Amino acid sequence: MLRTMILAASCGALATAIAFGGASAADKPVYGVLMKTLSNPFWGAMEQGVRDGAKEADVEYFLQAVESDQAAEPQLNTCNTMLEKKPVVMITAAINSTILLPCLKHANEEKIPVIDLDNNLDPEITKKAGVEVAFHIGSDNEAAGAKGADYVAQTLGKDAKGPVLVIEGLSGNITGQKRARGFANELKKVAPGLTIVASLPGDWDRQKAANIANDTLQRNPDLVAIFCANDGMALGAVEAARAAGKDKVIVVGVDGNKDAVKSILAGRLNASVAQLPYLVGKEAVENAKKLLAGGKVDEFIYVPTLVLTKDVLEAKKDPMLQYVK
Amino acid sequence: MTAAPRAARGGANWRVRLTSGVAFRFESLLVLAILVVAMAALSPYFLSISNFLNILLATATIGVLAIGATFVISSAGIDLSVGSVLGFSGVVGCLMMSNLDLPWPLGVVACIGAGAAAGLVNGFLITRGQIPPFIVTLGMLGVARGAGLVLTNGLPIYGLPAPIVYLGQGRPLGVPTPVIILVLTAAIAHLVLMHTRFGLYTQVIGDSETAARAMGVRVERQKVYLYTLSGALAGLAGLLFAARVNAGDPTAGLNYELTAVTAAIIGGTNLFGGRGSVVGTIIGALIMGVLQNGLNLLAVPSFYQQMAIGAVLVLAVWLDRVNRSEGRRR
Amino acid sequence: MSLLEVRDVYKSFGSIEALRGVTFSVEAGSATALVGDNGAGKSTLMKTITGVHRPDRGSILFDGARIDELDPRGIRERGIEMIYQDLALAKMRDVAANIFLGREITRNVLGLKLIDHKRMESEAEKMIEKLGARVKSVKQIAGQLSGGQQQSVAIARALTFNPKLVIMDEPTAALAVREIEHVLDLIRTLKSHGIAVILISHRLTDVFAVCDRIVVLRQGAVIADDPTDKTSMNAVVSHIVGAA
Repeated sequence: MLRTMILAASCGALATAIAFGGASAADKPVYGVLMKTLSNPFWGAMEQGVRDGAKEADVEYFLQAVESDQAAEPQLNTCNTMLEKKPVVMITAAINSTILLPCLKHANEEKIPVIDLDNNLDPEITKKAGVEVAFHIGSDNEAAGAKGADYVAQTLGKDAKGPVLVIEGLSGNITGQKRARGFANELKKVAPGLTIVASLPGDWDRQKAANIANDTLQRNPDLVAIFCANDGMALGAVEAARAAGKDKVIVVGVDGNKDAVKSILAGRLNASVAQLPYLVGKEAVENAKKLLAGGKVDEFIYVPTLVLTKDVLEAKKDPMLQYVK
Repeated sequence: MTAAPRAARGGANWRVRLTSGVAFRFESLLVLAILVVAMAALSPYFLSISNFLNILLATATIGVLAIGATFVISSAGIDLSVGSVLGFSGVVGCLMMSNLDLPWPLGVVACIGAGAAAGLVNGFLITRGQIPPFIVTLGMLGVARGAGLVLTNGLPIYGLPAPIVYLGQGRPLGVPTPVIILVLTAAIAHLVLMHTRFGLYTQVIGDSETAARAMGVRVERQKVYLYTLSGALAGLAGLLFAARVNAGDPTAGLNYELTAVTAAIIGGTNLFGGRGSVVGTIIGALIMGVLQNGLNLLAVPSFYQQMAIGAVLVLAVWLDRVNRSEGRRR
Repeated sequence: MSLLEVRDVYKSFGSIEALRGVTFSVEAGSATALVGDNGAGKSTLMKTITGVHRPDRGSILFDGARIDELDPRGIRERGIEMIYQDLALAKMRDVAANIFLGREITRNVLGLKLIDHKRMESEAEKMIEKLGARVKSVKQIAGQLSGGQQQSVAIARALTFNPKLVIMDEPTAALAVREIEHVLDLIRTLKSHGIAVILISHRLTDVFAVCDRIVVLRQGAVIADDPTDKTSMNAVVSHIVGAA
């Protein structure tokens, strides 16, 4: 029995220790921020933006994330738990367009404004579900895709001909779809000679993207460009192309994360359409404060994007570069 | 003649009495109690009815899956496909209701039926094909997930009939419907595991398959039933999941199989078969639910949460080990 | 007519012929020894009688009726019990559950057949007491009992349902001398109650002590089948090793 007691005590101590690690108490109104995961530089940069934004705006917040960007139900559970703490606003980056709806509806009922961080909600579905979103903030994903197409056309010339590969995100994810769609539509306009021979889901997975690039190069050895819906996949694709001896294939990613910047500076990845997640996080908090103070905020706020290339990075002149984290 | 002494006398007697009827691991209840007390002390938001209902709601899907895991693991098997089957059956049911406009009861049947069908295939491959359950269900994990993605093109199917949404979001008498379904399922499963031949043979197969066979237990048939049951419960979990978010999501239930196994093991089901407890499994699922909820309330980053859950698994099993060897020395 | 008649039974596993035309019979209330070297086909023969295997050819009659098409459950119901060398106990179940394994007592509750744990326990207690087995409680877990106690449980299980024939596979192999005497006494008691016994054993002293007939198996065939008083230890040994 004694041993049980000792073990029980140590168990309690463990729980306490873990719990105190992150304990925070505040009497001021707090903002609730729910992200997907922090195990990705993109979300890390956004978190930093939230932190700096909150500091500048002088507001308290608590931020939660789940173990992976596919842990949908855990995110819903976390969302419900966050409501227990009665935040004054819920800033959420939903894992998919439907998972958080029951929780957000509940937030609506409690008169807590809901902010869609990084455009993860589909306005059509939220309206159908009766969820009221105060505003959507994020990059315009279609515009980001279009910028990628512009870059490809610029580099290869608008009369260029040849096959192009598009690697989408997780099948069913709206962000990846918008980027791919934006790229495809713009490419038709600016370089009609370039044809998309395949548009495949890479599931945001670097290795999967590498495999897709490899397989497509088998079938289309004359591939001229690869557009990936995020940087992780682009980095996988560029390595695969290099390994196959196809150094001339232009690879473009989206996000502008640290690894992508490194790869661009090293002359591997050609370009990344930087999403400036830092700015998204920062402006989300700023606009939330404005909203709570009774100010008027647009329903859709688009944070600008920036095409990062070796030239842009080395010139260090673009003022937006300070937001590339 | 008087009957032989019924139970071992001594200090552990109260513990035996507390746990003998339902055969769960006493230590898991202790861990749960400590966690509740610790969380209540640390977070002012923890002790409220609405928060407890949150915990129960968050436990419902995993709980239903873990009940299936309890049966399969008791028989010294494993079903790694339940997470994928959950997603697959939710999608099948939603397609029936949303795209084919079939009445909602058929959707319910389709969800559970799709899960049971996947489980039946598992069972047949394991018994007739004599392929180890680990391999068969690992295969089904891929097949069911892929099938769900194919059926939906990877997109969630949004919008289900109102009665289904009530199944996931309704609150009769203030209690979320999924919680009621979990409790009912657990009660029936407990009865079956502890008080019917089906339940007894499940555990005896895990204990000694040769003994079961020698005593005339139809081992193969029992295994087919077991995997079908596990699949059907995954289907029910898929229904609850879809109803809760009002959508059939082909990526639903990713990695749930291991969480379900963890809940069962924390609750005292023997990983190598022979002994299982539904009550224990529910306690195991609640331990994880309380831990996750409490750590969320304390805003502990998700990375630490995963460490904490891993630690509790090892701790719960270790406590059991230590206490049992202590009991033997007496 | 004999109680059990095995007639010209063949059984192969792939290219291996385990049984090649085995014929022998067992009389009610008698003890028959089945001896032979490892691999002679003893266990295959027993598994064929108890319904685990089905013979490729030949027939098995029990009480005048064919049983070679029944499954193990059906054969147990006819009155043939087997005590396995490994005892076939579920080590994590209690004594009562083991005694009733495969034949649980159930009661009807709202159409559901629920196991009647209480009745099984009391019946098991009676049986254990009748056999004079030293098991403290029928709620003890089988795996925590001593070897001898586990053996008692296996025997109790075989005798609870009033069998006509009990097959024992090496029942004395793992026991202490005193416990062996106990088992041999038990076999004598069974015989006196009119229950037939087939004893599979390597210990010829035991065989000669209790058996009325000795059947020697070699390479899947019966090569000797004599009453105990018409044969000798030496003759049996030479049959087993094939020197005769």
